[in-house]
Amino acid sequence: MLYWHWLTLGMALIIAELFIASFFVFWFGLGALLVGLLVWLNPTLSTAWQVLGWSLASGLMTLLWFRYLRPLMKDRTQAGNARGAVIGEAGRVLRAPHGTNRGTVRFTTPLLGDDEWEFICEGSVVIGDRVYVKDFSGNTLVVEKRD
Amino acid sequence: MPGTILALFLFALVVVTIGLGVRIVPQGSKHVVQRLGKYHSALSPGLNLIIPYIDTVAYKVTTKDIVLDIPSQEVITRDNAVIIANALAYINIVAPEKAVYGVENYVYAIQSLVQTSLRSIVGEMALDDALSSRDSIKAKLKAAISDDIADWGIALKTVEIQDIKPSPTMQHAMEEQAAAERARRATVTRAEGDKSAAILQADGRLEASRRDAEAQVVLAEASQTAIRKVAEATQTGELPVVYLLGEKYIEAMRNIANSANSKLVILPADLPAAVRGLISGLPAGPR
Repeated sequence: MLYWHWLTLGMALIIAELFIASFFVFWFGLGALLVGLLVWLNPTLSTAWQVLGWSLASGLMTLLWFRYLRPLMKDRTQAGNARGAVIGEAGRVLRAPHGTNRGTVRFTTPLLGDDEWEFICEGSVVIGDRVYVKDFSGNTLVVEKRD
Repeated sequence: MPGTILALFLFALVVVTIGLGVRIVPQGSKHVVQRLGKYHSALSPGLNLIIPYIDTVAYKVTTKDIVLDIPSQEVITRDNAVIIANALAYINIVAPEKAVYGVENYVYAIQSLVQTSLRSIVGEMALDDALSSRDSIKAKLKAAISDDIADWGIALKTVEIQDIKPSPTMQHAMEEQAAAERARRATVTRAEGDKSAAILQADGRLEASRRDAEAQVVLAEASQTAIRKVAEATQTGELPVVYLLGEKYIEAMRNIANSANSKLVILPADLPAAVRGLISGLPAGPR
């Protein structure tokens, strides 16, 4: 195969990604472009090596993407992800837990449609303490007090 | 040639591997990954990489709020009345792995829980309370269910009582009761009206009688004054009365003459004698 075959294939695959939307054809397209570049530099490269190069290049592109580019893709919203939106939120203790009774914590902005939640805390807290949501337990929050 | 075939097969392997390993999870859902049949992780929204062949996406769970329709059911109140209630529950799956492994069918489980809890909560209330305190039912319902669904990684956002109404027979009885109450009020109002009217009429008659009596007194006083004045003018005892009577007699005669049903009026020739005859019983006055 000639270098422009690979370049055409690469571009075709990248365009195909638009219609397939599975986001893995893209890397094969990038791999094909890379092989096209190699063939352009070394036109005597055999087809077997070209295909092998394509496989390796595609795998490499995939790994590079996940290694370096994915961490840059920050979550822009926690909409539709209740747990992610709530964990780490800080609230103020309204009623401290004692015995089997759970405490009550109030948040400045409602969490899951409610600004007051019952909570469980491993440490001891008093009214007015600032606590942070650690986990959910049904309609009860597991909170922690950070020093 | 063998090298090319090998390279092509290798390429096919790479394609399949990458195709199986790359997972895009849409915002608002999570994918539960099992590694060789065992829970491994929950994939967050975005681009994810799993290890092909050993990791599989076992469940795709929505993390958006789910609206559950709780079917209508008949509930018996504390005072043995039957009401029909249905509700809407808004739930959110906060821990997908608990939701899929903790219960076989969380939708059915929560529907059943809400139904049974609603029945027990309404069963402790009187009919009138059940019909009028939806907010308190909602709060109790939420508190009752919260602990039960904790193991399933589900948070109950709210339960809304959609419809709560008495059964048809109860509704009929209540309507009859309301109608009877209205009828009672109408009767009482009418009786009160009649009573007030009778009192007012009696008051009117009393006032009228009082005024009639006053009028007669005034008339008598006027006659007395007239007699006194005539007596003073004539200086005789009997004559004023005779004069006044004569005057009235003549006036009566004029009225008879003016009336439509009489055409002939005969006046006595000796009017004073006739008048005197009328009052012959009067004691003789001073001469």
